[in-house]
Amino acid sequence: MGQNRRASWQSASPYLDTALDLPPEERARWLASLRSESPELAAQVERWLRECQAVEGDEFLEGAAEVEPARSALAGLQVGAYRLVEPIGHGGMGSVWMAERTDGRFEGKVAVKLLNAALVGRAGEERFAREGRILARLAHPQIAHLLDAGVSSIGQPYLVLEHVEGEEIDRYCDRRGLGVHDRVRLFLDVLAPVAHAHANLVVHRDLKPSNVLVTGSGQVKLLDFGIARLLDADDSAGRAPRLTREDDAVLTPAYAAPEQVSRGEVTTATDVYALGVLLYVLLTGRHPAGDALTSPAALLDSIVSVEPPKMSSVAPAAAARLLRGDLDTIVAQALRKEPGRRYQSVTVLADDLRRHLQHEPVSARADAYTYRAAKFVRRNRTATAMGAVAVVVLVGGVVATSWQAARAAAERDFAMRQLARAESMNDLNTFLLSDAAPHGRPFTAGELLNQAEALLNRQSAGTADDVTVESLISIGRQYRSQDEDANARRVLDRAYELALGLPPDRASTRAKAACALASALVRGDDVPRARALIDEALAAMPTDRTPVLDRVFCEQCASEVMMEAGEAERGIEHALTAERLAAASGLGSGLLKMTLAMDVAEAYRMAGRNAEASAAFEVAFARLTALGRERTEKAGTLLNNWGLARFLLGHPVEAEQMFRRAVDIASADGAGASVSPMLTLNLARTVIENGRAAEGLEMAERAVDDARKAGDQLVEVQSLLVRSAGNRELGHFSRSDELLAQFERVQKERGMPSDHIAFAALASERAAVALGRGDFSAAAAAADNAVAIAEASRQARDALPRMLLRRANVALAAGRMAVATTDATRALALEQAMSEPGSRTSRLGRCYLALGEAHRAEGRSAEARATLADAIAHLEPSLGADHVLTVRARELLAALRPG
Amino acid sequence: MDRPTDTSIALLFASAERGDPASGSALFAALYTELHRIAQRELGRQGWGVSIGATSLLHEAYLDLSRKDADAFPDRNRFMGYAARVMRGLIVDYARNRQALKRGGQFELTALSTDALDVRVDDRELTRVSEAMDELADLEPDLAEVVDLKYFCGFSFEEIAAMKNLSERTVRRHWTKARAYLHTAIRDTALPM
Repeated sequence: MGQNRRASWQSASPYLDTALDLPPEERARWLASLRSESPELAAQVERWLRECQAVEGDEFLEGAAEVEPARSALAGLQVGAYRLVEPIGHGGMGSVWMAERTDGRFEGKVAVKLLNAALVGRAGEERFAREGRILARLAHPQIAHLLDAGVSSIGQPYLVLEHVEGEEIDRYCDRRGLGVHDRVRLFLDVLAPVAHAHANLVVHRDLKPSNVLVTGSGQVKLLDFGIARLLDADDSAGRAPRLTREDDAVLTPAYAAPEQVSRGEVTTATDVYALGVLLYVLLTGRHPAGDALTSPAALLDSIVSVEPPKMSSVAPAAAARLLRGDLDTIVAQALRKEPGRRYQSVTVLADDLRRHLQHEPVSARADAYTYRAAKFVRRNRTATAMGAVAVVVLVGGVVATSWQAARAAAERDFAMRQLARAESMNDLNTFLLSDAAPHGRPFTAGELLNQAEALLNRQSAGTADDVTVESLISIGRQYRSQDEDANARRVLDRAYELALGLPPDRASTRAKAACALASALVRGDDVPRARALIDEALAAMPTDRTPVLDRVFCEQCASEVMMEAGEAERGIEHALTAERLAAASGLGSGLLKMTLAMDVAEAYRMAGRNAEASAAFEVAFARLTALGRERTEKAGTLLNNWGLARFLLGHPVEAEQMFRRAVDIASADGAGASVSPMLTLNLARTVIENGRAAEGLEMAERAVDDARKAGDQLVEVQSLLVRSAGNRELGHFSRSDELLAQFERVQKERGMPSDHIAFAALASERAAVALGRGDFSAAAAAADNAVAIAEASRQARDALPRMLLRRANVALAAGRMAVATTDATRALALEQAMSEPGSRTSRLGRCYLALGEAHRAEGRSAEARATLADAIAHLEPSLGADHVLTVRARELLAALRPG
Repeated sequence: MDRPTDTSIALLFASAERGDPASGSALFAALYTELHRIAQRELGRQGWGVSIGATSLLHEAYLDLSRKDADAFPDRNRFMGYAARVMRGLIVDYARNRQALKRGGQFELTALSTDALDVRVDDRELTRVSEAMDELADLEPDLAEVVDLKYFCGFSFEEIAAMKNLSERTVRRHWTKARAYLHTAIRDTALPM
């Protein structure tokens, strides 16, 4: 059959050409003449001619092997007030058509986007139209204006957009061969409209090159702003549609943020992430996920859990040189997995890029070292009572009026008490949400603050009354609580300037402004000025006429300043004063009382007065629980710091519980990566102390990994001693040696003087390692060294007893009982002086145990029995009945019992 | 697979034009890889749910390859003619793959692994067309080329005429003849359902 066909064709084909070229009449004549010459051939030609004719009328192979929207089907279709003219594209959500208006109103070219009806859902139609109208109010020259949105008479949802003719930004850059800096400049043009939208509480959610066009004149235009929000089939706050291919995906996974992928959350931080990916692509020509891009599953996994390689490591050599350093850091910050660790706003990102272009230092580098661990340790301040005022300003001006009306101190206090219920940032969010942002999840606090500030500027325009000052103070304080120090300083500076112009009867407002500014300055290391401001403020506050809460505020700031300045005792004084004043006045909310209690606790802890700190933490935690906030981030911070205090006092089992609770809270918060390495290390240390070296060591290693990723050197260095102890307990002595050698190296590199307490800790740990090996002389030498440093050091109050105890234990093992007894007795005395009367601590227990062993070895059985009984009394509650030390104490005691 | 360099493709082109068969197949492989790579890149840029037209893919390929060394590279028309054949290969491979997947086959993906090309045509038919095309290409390469350019690459009669330096009428005639042959070939070899 095939052969026939081929043969037939070969002979007939040339004749076919001729035949096809002839008009029908002539063709018939020509065929006839052919038939007479060669009937066989004519038959073939006719056969093929018939085939040709059949095929002419047929659809066979008509069209092309690629899809196009069926032009005939939709052209001329009336959609709302528009008529479709011709297709101009085909996007993931549906097809896009050029359209014109049919009701007489001329609007020029528009683009009508026909959406997949399934995406809107029946219940969503009304909301779709309503939200469309909200979005239409977003007007910015660089945002393709959404003109209209609706559902046509046949149920077809559509969007009407300003028609933009331009090239996608990545293609634009490539075609024009733009270099790195030119691309950054162009990218800045992308950031401006995004910032504008964010300020209006609209999140894009789908930023990607095809939505960022550059016109012929070089102007950037953003498409599809907030469109994704319109398509929420689910009404629950901010849930993004699923990202699977099967569902005719609406969003582009390539630009999706980790929280979008794993939890469907969308905030302004999500846009920041997408912008980070876009910049990455523009500067390197590569997607951060690299090869994972080809498979949906690999891509999603990569987004959530794989750190992108630095731009400079994947870009071609010439570009890499320019990308190394600041640009690497900036983009890395935008691409952080945790939303809270990215740039807080697009404006800040833009600032950093501009600074880079002008060769100024960028903020991103600093932020790499500023994160939760540091917050845990030092900063746990939050919005104070004054936080309420910002809320006042924002709620449409109505409440502001009544606030202004309540000028008298008593009335103001009353108003504050009412508003104090909405003090924390969470409450602020909720409050704002009900009015300003009808749908969607809370935006980042930073965004809300920007909004608040802008609103305040508009409302107060020019007036410099105390309401404005109070509001600025509040906003400034809240910036601080969000770690936006630069913004905080800026705002508080302004507040102070304005406050200086207030009339004398507003002295307390002026004092507050001074205090607020002082506490912001001290963070930026301008300690002298901060202290001066505090002094000025406290002197100026008229005690009789000042509202109590204002004074409380100032005392709080004073406490902060003193602590940051290193004067712990004065910090305690002010914190206690603040607490006392608040308690005496009967004013102030539960939250304020809790904050003040935490301030006191922190002050004690920083001063090393752990027992009092512990008591204060307990009060603070009780207040937190009463407020129902025992599972918040603040609670986590408190538990960490409290746990530390308990650990230092010698209650490691209790401390472990607290750390675990803190970890619990932190991991429920985010994707596990939000547990601070510092906290993990604290827990690790405690677990090792509690006798589970393997578990603790594993935790410590994890903490180090997390710390390395975040660039936290502090945790890395601290971990060395902890890991040494863990390895030592497991008998891995050479590993301990390595870690200790590293620790020594680091301390020396930092220029630590040889009598610094760090070297005492090092020596003590070395002694323990040597002891584990059975090298008594090395152990004794190291222990001696440790004691010597501790004795000479002024910092080491609670370190000396431990050093003495170490030496005692070394002596015990070496059989030198006299030394053991002396050291243990001395250690015990020191510990007793430091501990809370009546408390049962592991520190005391260890001393008693060492002493008991020495007594037993010297044959002083009666004393030994008493001492060991004491040891058990302390070790059992603090370390647990199963701890190796408790068990040893019991065994020794049992061996001594007569009969 | 190593990424073919621009110069190597240009050289392959030159020697393939001179009739060297080894260069011909090497060139096919090189272009196949290039087109594949570009399709992936487009996909990466635009994400899922986007169809890439074969025409734009070829344009991109030509631009990419000729950008570096315009002199060494054959003119666009000759490139297109050849590349169109490669495009056919890509599309057919893709369709075959889809077919295999539908049947639950374990067909290893040699073509694009994702829906980069939105081919809206019956997969079985396409496979048969492909086989028939091989036959036609053997008999009358000019006719096959028109089918490649028009059907597999989406060029218009006008564009093809310009490319091949023919009249549009001639191109249409080629198209009719080609279809006639293919239609017959397919009908003759139609598999029982």
